[in-house]
Amino acid sequence: MATKNIEIIVNPPAPHFVGDGFRVHNFIPSGYHLDMQRMSPFIMLDYNSKFHFPPSNEPKGVGVHPHRGFETVTIAYKGKVAHHDSTGNSGVIGEGDVQWMTAASGILHKEYHEEEFSRTGGEFQMVQLWVNLPAKDKMSPPKYQGITNDQIQKFALPDNAGEIEVIAGEYQELKGSASTFTDVNLMNAKLKKHGIANFTFPAHFNTALLVIEGSIEINGKEEVGTDKFVLFENEGETFQIKAGEDAVILILSGEPINEPIASHGPFVMNTKAELMEAFNDFNIGKFGYLED
Amino acid sequence: MLANFKTYLREKSDLTESAFDEILKEVRVETIQKGGFLLHAGEICKHAFFTEKGLLRAFAVDESGKEHIIQFSPENWLTSDRSSIYFNEPSDLFIEAIENSTVVFMSSEFMEMVSGMSHKFRQANDRALHSHIRQLQLRINQLLGATAEERYLTFIQKYPDLLLRVPLWMTASYLGITPESLSRVRKDLAKKNFRH
Repeated sequence: MATKNIEIIVNPPAPHFVGDGFRVHNFIPSGYHLDMQRMSPFIMLDYNSKFHFPPSNEPKGVGVHPHRGFETVTIAYKGKVAHHDSTGNSGVIGEGDVQWMTAASGILHKEYHEEEFSRTGGEFQMVQLWVNLPAKDKMSPPKYQGITNDQIQKFALPDNAGEIEVIAGEYQELKGSASTFTDVNLMNAKLKKHGIANFTFPAHFNTALLVIEGSIEINGKEEVGTDKFVLFENEGETFQIKAGEDAVILILSGEPINEPIASHGPFVMNTKAELMEAFNDFNIGKFGYLED
Repeated sequence: MLANFKTYLREKSDLTESAFDEILKEVRVETIQKGGFLLHAGEICKHAFFTEKGLLRAFAVDESGKEHIIQFSPENWLTSDRSSIYFNEPSDLFIEAIENSTVVFMSSEFMEMVSGMSHKFRQANDRALHSHIRQLQLRINQLLGATAEERYLTFIQKYPDLLLRVPLWMTASYLGITPESLSRVRKDLAKKNFRH
């Protein structure tokens, strides 16, 4: 199998606030060469790099807002987030946990710093990723997978190099914990200093990684530091990462959904008419109701 | 650059390509940060403002200090105080950018110049004034006689994406109801229409 080479390394863009609780760098879709079609099925990636929130009696976050047409995946590295949605689900995403919410035909939700975390303040580091749905599944019923860290499948690397947390997809025949609509691989590589991991994905899958902690060397040549995003070429299948120091790397690889994208704010559909329908359905309450 | 304004000008006028290019050179464009004002009450309004990008609101403040939103102006909308311009008298309105916005400033002289070059533009401008009067009448009628739900349903037809762009209190202010009433309206609609 051929080596998959790096297409570009993207520095974190200037951060902005989502609500008052998430200070994020948007890599997808506004990063250079990281538009929705290029990165499909990954259509949005906001990265809250490590940031210290001071104590607050009022939990910071994002108030009630809708989504339709895709899935939101929240990965908590530091800090805790409480969430509620219009289907009645609520819970806390703690450190190491993943929330995989299928908005599909429509959901309202809100996300705030968990109360205790908010009161004490502290380090906060999260990824929110949007995974597109194929046209046939965009209007399927919403669902929710709360995956705590102890439920995430973990592959122990040889030579005590670390482990791979398989959130979705497959690593060395170990299947991930989340169910997905299309072929999506999402995993955290937790490598010890000098630890090595190899990855193999089909050449045409859109493949990228984000260095959450530490620094790595890719394919024995390129050094990549913390908070940088790497997009791979759609040629070759395998790449290797080696940790320069203890490192955590988020790996994404998915089969592109080759369908038109019409997106506006929190709705990602296939046509403009479907977008207008989404706005109208939201306005007249078809997404339900959730108190702010 | 100015894609929306160019489309507006092409639709409303029958200018030749060279006249079109000349006019674009005369246009004044400003980037207004969120929270920036284009007009303060007490000033004489000198321009119509075309929103190329972003969102403006026109509002009045009553004696108790309470704000009343008269109009929102998202992309492709025009807002102004036309009576202040025409009668050359101080405006009662504030016009504020509520998102970072790109705004085309059209003075009376500019409007007159384009109207002189394009009869179609003069007619379109005349029609815009009468549409504005029709909208105002509709708004007065609704504020005097319609239920909160009827006002809300008119609002979402006119501004389909605004609920996601402005805080609830601003929508309530535009509708002339309290934020609590607006929440009640939306909750009742959800009860009727929620389909899961």
